Amino acid sequence: MPTVQMTNPAALPADWRDFLALTKPRVMSLVVFTGLCGLLIAPVMPPLVLGFTAILCIALGAGACGALNQWYEIDVDAKMRRTSKRPLPAGRMDPQAALHFGVGLGGFSVLLMGLAANWLAAVLLAASILFYVLIYTVWLKPRTAQNIVIGGAAGAFPPLIGWVAATGQVSTLPVLLFAIIFLWTPPHFWALSLFVRSDYANAGIPMLPVVAGAQATRRQIFLYSLPMAIAAVAPWYLGLAGAVYGLSAAILSLVFLVLAARVLANRANDPAEMGAEKHLFAYSVFYLFALFAVLVADRWLA
Amino acid sequence: MRAEEELIRKRQRDRARIMALLLGAFVVLLFFITIAKTGMNW
Repeated sequence: MPTVQMTNPAALPADWRDFLALTKPRVMSLVVFTGLCGLLIAPVMPPLVLGFTAILCIALGAGACGALNQWYEIDVDAKMRRTSKRPLPAGRMDPQAALHFGVGLGGFSVLLMGLAANWLAAVLLAASILFYVLIYTVWLKPRTAQNIVIGGAAGAFPPLIGWVAATGQVSTLPVLLFAIIFLWTPPHFWALSLFVRSDYANAGIPMLPVVAGAQATRRQIFLYSLPMAIAAVAPWYLGLAGAVYGLSAAILSLVFLVLAARVLANRANDPAEMGAEKHLFAYSVFYLFALFAVLVADRWLA
Repeated sequence: MRAEEELIRKRQRDRARIMALLLGAFVVLLFFITIAKTGMNW
């Protein structure tokens, strides 16, 4: 295949892999997993194909969020090393194609959810997409250091949607799962934003480390980890999950708190010396996967 | 210019194939959703 020099690469039909990249597949994996767990712990199990479709809709909705987020943030992504090679800032795709793709994917996912599962799940899916795009991406992210705190609600929806897709109603356990992800998001993202702070500063995004400094962010990480740990063990305390989950959640959360305390004790400003922050970030991803996996195992073993 | 045209055609072909696969999968999915919704067991 010869290398071709184009005068305007965006004028070409975009490669299908670039459309796939717009959906942020790596972020989608956590969304799909938590949504699947919400569905699997529900007391009612829908037919396999309807459960599969509900999870597919959650994945497509998350993909729509990723596409619309990248469409809106072309200028910001171009200024950040981490995101500058994405299809839109790299000029490999026409922005309008990304907008149409995102809106189409979002609308399709909501309609299919309504038809295959139920309309309450579809309304929640639509709300989560609109919340992520309009409240988080457009309104909060460029304006306030609390962007990730309130915007975290968008990422907390999937287990709730999975549960509602199976049962048709909202109850205490999925709301607790919502709370766990909601409270997990700030420590997770702030740990990342500490060691990529210069990227956010260059792009003019008012992330907490940029606005309030590293030490204030470290304090906030630790403070948010406390209610997160309480929310994590709450399903067991309230009798909504068994001892296997309770013990696992307590141990996993204790390790999280120890790592958050190490972040609190760190005084470094150089990303190269932020081993504690990198450990916490990596562990936070494992933590959420493990917590939800244990909850499903606990429900199915009981 | 010829190489650019070839690239355009290749991308159009690739996208058409992916779209055909996705549409086919969607039809199959709709079929099984209908079966599940109407409660048919076979």
